[in-house]
Amino acid sequence: MLLKTSLRSFFAHKGRMALSLIAVVLSVAFVSGTLVFSNTATSTFDKLFAATASDVSVQPPKPDDDEEQQAAAKPPTVPVALAQQIAGLPGVKTAVGQVMVHNAILVDPATNKLVGPTQGAPTLLGNWTDTPRNALHITSGHAPQGPGELVLDADTAKKAKLGLGDHVRVDNSGGKHDFTIAGIATFTTTNPGAALAFLDTDTAQRVLLGEQAYTSVEAFGDGSRGNDQLKADAVAKVGAGYQVKTAAEQKDENTKQVGSGLDFMKYAMLGFAFVSAIVGAFLIVNTFSMLVAQRTREIGLLRAIGGSRRQVNRSVLVEALILGVLGSTIGVGAGLGVAVGLIKLMNAIGMDLNAADLQIGPDVFVAGYSLGIVVTLVAAFFPARRASRISPMAALRDHGTPAEGRANVIRTVVGLLLTAGGAALLVLGAGADKAATGGQYLGLGVVLTLVGFVVIGPLLASALIRVLGAVLPALFGPSGKLAQRNAMRNPRRTGATAAALMIGLALVIASSVFSSSAVTSASAQIDRSVGVDFIIQGGRTEVTPEMQDIVRRTPGIDHVTTQKFFTAKLQLPDGGKAKNDLTAVPPTFFGSDFHPSLDAGSVDSIERGSLGIGAAFAKDHNLKVGDQVGVDYGKGRTQTLPVGAVFKKGELFGDGSFVAMDTMAKVVPAAEQPPVWTFFAKASAGTDVAKTLTALEDGLKQFPQLSIKDQAGYKEMVQSQIDTLLYLIYGLVALSITVAVLGVVNTLALSVVERTREIGLLRAIGLSRRQLRRMIRLESVVIALFGAVLGTGLGLAWGVTAQRVLRDQGLGTLSVPAGTIGVTLAASVVIGLFAALIPAFRAGRMNVLAAIATD
Amino acid sequence: MTTATAVFDPQLPGGESAVAASARQVTKAYGSGETKVTALDAVDVDIQRGRFTAIMGPSGSGKSTLMHCLAGLDTVTAGRIWIGDTEITGLKDKQLTRLRRDKIGFIFQAFNLLPTLNALENITLPMDIAGRKPDQAWLDQVVETVGLAGRLKHRPTQLSGGQQQRVAVARALAARPEIIFGDEPTGNLDSRAGAEVLTFLRRSVDELGQTIVMVTHDPVAAGYADRVLFLADGVIVDEMHAPTADSVLERMRRFDGKRTS
Repeated sequence: MLLKTSLRSFFAHKGRMALSLIAVVLSVAFVSGTLVFSNTATSTFDKLFAATASDVSVQPPKPDDDEEQQAAAKPPTVPVALAQQIAGLPGVKTAVGQVMVHNAILVDPATNKLVGPTQGAPTLLGNWTDTPRNALHITSGHAPQGPGELVLDADTAKKAKLGLGDHVRVDNSGGKHDFTIAGIATFTTTNPGAALAFLDTDTAQRVLLGEQAYTSVEAFGDGSRGNDQLKADAVAKVGAGYQVKTAAEQKDENTKQVGSGLDFMKYAMLGFAFVSAIVGAFLIVNTFSMLVAQRTREIGLLRAIGGSRRQVNRSVLVEALILGVLGSTIGVGAGLGVAVGLIKLMNAIGMDLNAADLQIGPDVFVAGYSLGIVVTLVAAFFPARRASRISPMAALRDHGTPAEGRANVIRTVVGLLLTAGGAALLVLGAGADKAATGGQYLGLGVVLTLVGFVVIGPLLASALIRVLGAVLPALFGPSGKLAQRNAMRNPRRTGATAAALMIGLALVIASSVFSSSAVTSASAQIDRSVGVDFIIQGGRTEVTPEMQDIVRRTPGIDHVTTQKFFTAKLQLPDGGKAKNDLTAVPPTFFGSDFHPSLDAGSVDSIERGSLGIGAAFAKDHNLKVGDQVGVDYGKGRTQTLPVGAVFKKGELFGDGSFVAMDTMAKVVPAAEQPPVWTFFAKASAGTDVAKTLTALEDGLKQFPQLSIKDQAGYKEMVQSQIDTLLYLIYGLVALSITVAVLGVVNTLALSVVERTREIGLLRAIGLSRRQLRRMIRLESVVIALFGAVLGTGLGLAWGVTAQRVLRDQGLGTLSVPAGTIGVTLAASVVIGLFAALIPAFRAGRMNVLAAIATD
Repeated sequence: MTTATAVFDPQLPGGESAVAASARQVTKAYGSGETKVTALDAVDVDIQRGRFTAIMGPSGSGKSTLMHCLAGLDTVTAGRIWIGDTEITGLKDKQLTRLRRDKIGFIFQAFNLLPTLNALENITLPMDIAGRKPDQAWLDQVVETVGLAGRLKHRPTQLSGGQQQRVAVARALAARPEIIFGDEPTGNLDSRAGAEVLTFLRRSVDELGQTIVMVTHDPVAAGYADRVLFLADGVIVDEMHAPTADSVLERMRRFDGKRTS
């Protein structure tokens, strides 16, 4: 009997259910869309790797943990003879020596522009080999023959508008090498977005490796033996030093590499789906609360004629279940659209995935339906419980409007305790010595303050709206007064509606405080301690002496400063060992280019053969100026140096150590020194920095891989990097705000229905349509503004705490973006106005007589 | 059956006269064709200024419809209506709203007050809406008359049914409307509270010179009026001056007898 009631009631209120439905659909769509997308991406790569992996790959020995690779000077190789050895194994049909490097770039000599992706996916150069499982086949032209020919993959060629016979330059640390495109090769499966270019084997070895060797040997079996058997034989033959991997192992390894890149995206999307699910839950709670309130009499009647509490409870939950199932179904469907959208997005940034090849596994349905149904049921639980407590007497009582909900004492106490606890944690976090500890306090504090605010929302609603709304009567007359009273009449509902908005806006404010502090801190630090004018970064290839010479010869340049990075092991006086970044720098580095603040010692001591270390490192290992530290550069090159300087916390270079170039050169021969990836240039006194920058850019035009920035440009780059992250966050938050707006619409629409008689009365005694609409709009604005004020408060608390926690991690300066906060508050007014559009329109159109007659 | 004319001076509809509202040939029909229902059938009526008029009739007689049309809450199918010297038939919603706000007071059977406003705020609401300052002396007098002086800060939920209706009466009076319409204003009250409210209405006519039109089916309530109009099947069938509860009851009985015969 009650199931029928639930069904009828659900469909009778389909208009009101629609908004809750949208909330469920949105969160389910994002969860299922993300899953479909990552399944599809994974499967695309799986297919690619499965189709192209050799049966057994023999690769250079893994660098020992002890012998860390020093910033990849040269790709590791295997000797040519290894190919014959592997080919000779029983069961091997062919064994091909492969050259594949990613430390070279392709340049269009006509335009001096990079060919291939500039970010994300790599540019790979290698030798053209004929294997049974080529990832590409040549679709026009022919395989590269001789020193001047190159084959380019079709996607890259198309993007760079290059064709057969066009010239392409390969630049690497060995110099510039000109080639003519002899063939275009097309991927047999979906191209994941990398640019590939192939030379013939001799040329590849000479140009890319500078030696007669391979980067790996790929063996293909004749089918007589399993891959594991082949691997075992290969290991026995060549010795355990080499890495030998079966097809399955190669695939796993590759998948893992790609997966970690996609994971970031996946977790961001899921996090966002989670936020919108929470926000959606508020909307559902409100919808059902109002439905229950409106049906008080009906439910009372049900109880009076013998319906049990459980039956009433269940009838509400069944309605929620219908909503959940329906929402999840539509959501999973919409999720496919989201997945296609994500794939298009990835296509746009250079990762080619095929939208026609969507992978929809059972996990999509399980996750989508569980989310949708659990969220609705949990959200409907409280209204359902309230419904079951309605007494049969309610049927007899004449009720104009449902009783006004008041914030109760327990709720207030719990909310205050949670908020106070959260605030205390934030304060603790802000004061914590270690960023990691502070971060934990911050995380917990964020959760507690958020929950606390949600719980005391109704209490705050009464108090804050009294204040916020106080100006309304003065500004907007009777409409304002009525709006203020209406917004306050059901604090619980107002609180829940505003809470949804609060969450989104708190995230916006917190991240904008964080990012603005990051940018301000970075630029303050640059202003304080950087004296050098230009930074030149090599990107994918190392910096060659030729580039440095060009810069040095550019008019207006005083000097050029290089740096070389090591991952060094430091032998401490107490017998312990510690790994740390170590930078070798010439005298100009600390002499004129950088002025870090010091805790102890002097930077001059570094030039005299001492070691400079960071404050945190010094503290962790109990080091002080004068202590003797053993420095191990790798490959047995060691020396013992005294600590000469301790840099202050939060300096530009993190917690790295510094040594003079000359000191390092005493033990590390030039051939073993790592290449330069980044170098600096200082303009002569009185030179126009902007003009010199143009001159540098002109001079280095032939090296499109270089990025040349002056201080202003560098600050801009930091800003734009942070902005990119910020926009991502804003994008994600935008959807949760959309759901929150639906919540405001929902609340208003239901309030308008609930107050039909009141509205009729007001119209009868002379409230004009305009005044009525204004009243509803103002109520909406007040609710939205209330949510925004709470959100801003929370967001500021979170953001400021985050800055305090990271004060030694490069976020030394707090910056509160007043502009963003102003925009947020203004936007909340717009949100309120927007949300009131339809409810206000409908209220205005209400027939006065019918409204008065409404029971 | 004779059709009584409730018109005093057909020559002066709405002019500066003793007439606060008038209707001429007012017809109100719902639906069309076969299902057409005529709620008012060419009704002519004048409401005298400064008098207390009751409209009576059985359920479905059209008495509420007549009041709604006179008050500008409902539109007519045909005919013309004046409030004071303003013809309201043909007015746009905006003008009608303004007219209701400035010239008309309402007392409904129930749900007369906004629960978010206290008694005083409810009383001054029409003037608030109009953006006018209430005339404090008049307001005090009205509040005094309806006996609410001690309860002005109370919310409607803190007032009894009778007190709520008295607040509604005070609201209707406070703006000094041309005319007050009451739609069964005592229908929800027990006889004592009802008598109180009716007494105030009577006093407001006698002492404050207010014009009141009240729809009721209670002969006792009608007994407070100066004049009773009887409606049946959308037509004014009779009227009675200086009625008493008994005479009205008697008239209603006859009326019922006629109907059932």
